[in-house]
Amino acid sequence: MTTKTAAPGAKTAPVVGFDRVSKAYGDVRAVDGLTLELHPGETVALLGPNGAGKSTTLDLLLGLKQADGGEVSVFGTSPREAIVAGRVGAMLQSGGLMDEVTVGELVGLACALHPRPYKVSDVLARAGIAQIASRKVNKLSGGQAQRVRFALATAGDSDLIVLDEPTTGMDVTTRQGFWATMREQADQGRTVLFATHYLEEADAVADRVLVLHRGRLLADGTAAEIKAKAGARRISFDLEGDIDEPALRALPFLTTFDLSGQTVRIQSADADATVHALYGLGVHPRNLEVAGLGLEQAFVAITAAEEARTK
Amino acid sequence: MNSLIRLELARALRNRKFLFFSVIYPSVLFLLIAGSADATTRVGGTGLTLPTYMMVSMASFGALTAVLMGNSERIAKERESGWVRQLRLTTLPGRGYVLAKTASAAVVSLPSIVVVFAVAAAVKGVRLDAWQWLALTGAIWAGSLVFAALGVAIGYLASGDAVRPITMITYFGLSILGGLWMPTTTFPQWLQDIARWVPTHAYAALGQAIEQSQAPHAKDIAVLAVFFALFTGGAAWLYRKDTLKA
Repeated sequence: MTTKTAAPGAKTAPVVGFDRVSKAYGDVRAVDGLTLELHPGETVALLGPNGAGKSTTLDLLLGLKQADGGEVSVFGTSPREAIVAGRVGAMLQSGGLMDEVTVGELVGLACALHPRPYKVSDVLARAGIAQIASRKVNKLSGGQAQRVRFALATAGDSDLIVLDEPTTGMDVTTRQGFWATMREQADQGRTVLFATHYLEEADAVADRVLVLHRGRLLADGTAAEIKAKAGARRISFDLEGDIDEPALRALPFLTTFDLSGQTVRIQSADADATVHALYGLGVHPRNLEVAGLGLEQAFVAITAAEEARTK
Repeated sequence: MNSLIRLELARALRNRKFLFFSVIYPSVLFLLIAGSADATTRVGGTGLTLPTYMMVSMASFGALTAVLMGNSERIAKERESGWVRQLRLTTLPGRGYVLAKTASAAVVSLPSIVVVFAVAAAVKGVRLDAWQWLALTGAIWAGSLVFAALGVAIGYLASGDAVRPITMITYFGLSILGGLWMPTTTFPQWLQDIARWVPTHAYAALGQAIEQSQAPHAKDIAVLAVFFALFTGGAAWLYRKDTLKA
């Protein structure tokens, strides 16, 4: 295996280009004016809560769905042309497998269909399924089936690997092994794009994170930048006696504030600083709780912050 | 695409239930129906003995089973499981999937025809000229393509749960109405009038004309051609609709 170099003449075309792409199902705008570019060699996480439009985005990228508006290009051509040229390997979230055939036969088929295939035994070994090669596909566990799907996506020398929530159904150990395998793919110079709703996963693997929310690109940056943005904490505590609301509202890094009775519920972009300042007010909070926001709530918080900023 | 045909075929040949119903079952049914008939019983209006007549019916029935049952249910299930989507991420051309399914079904339908012939010749002493055996095999095999197209259409029409009952109703309807299980001459007149236009009736009539040393009737060929156009057109339309939706 050699490190990829850009084909001559293909220098200007990004690996993936979305230009104001939209896709709606009835009234629901699954993808809403999405514009983005992926560049060679990047490992990119497409991060978002369920229903953010991740799968639709990948379907559009792979030519499984047609955009209502805008343009999708892969290596400067249509998705289908890129696939026929063998430049894209993909693993779908619930991509079914042909049953009643063995794992080895199925991977053999994927190799036979690829214009630049690897040896079947190599593909099996790399996906960690060599020892179950003679097992029937319909007798696999969820994690094993995911590895078979990964093998199908990496059956040949493709330039872009697309994975839709690849670790669904895997236990922690398998998950770690899987990402190690995928790192190898990226280290060979391939562009890797994967969808996930785990911030930790994006943080551990990707060097660029795209945050998708309601079909729009909410953030685009390194995992550290996204983590800072989505790292909001929820803080709640009770106070006795008179409450100095203006002073509480003036606490640093607050994004939301809610006071009901003697209970204060706030969200903070930097919980440490906020709690420190809270004690600095000379109050005696009881039942203090600091909890992380779920990704979805974090996104809502970011959205709210963005909207407030643009107003 | 050859690799997919090979794999589809390997899978079909491994499926004992499918092989039993498409290859063994028609011969068993032939022996049950023709078993008690002596070689002098003639089927009304054809001049053929019952074993000779039923041999073609059952060979047609076997080929129908192989191409219809195999395709419709698998396509509907694999559409639902997402395997069809996964295949669209390979270099396989869009039609490749359907063509591979049809090709592998056609390979299984050949033994289902030949086994009925062998049983009829060996057990019931059916004798025909060499050219008739060859022409029968060719006609029944080629004619099964009409029903392969129907199987594909049902596979793209029905969802995973509904596909089996729909296939079964179609399958038994076509078998009985087309006279594959008993000559249509035993039907009441009004039913005979309907049966005349059923594609399986025209299908079996191809073979029966060859047994009578005649060229197949133009009307039967026309009926089959119209249904073939209808089924392939329907399958192509449903396929495109499914592709846009997926």
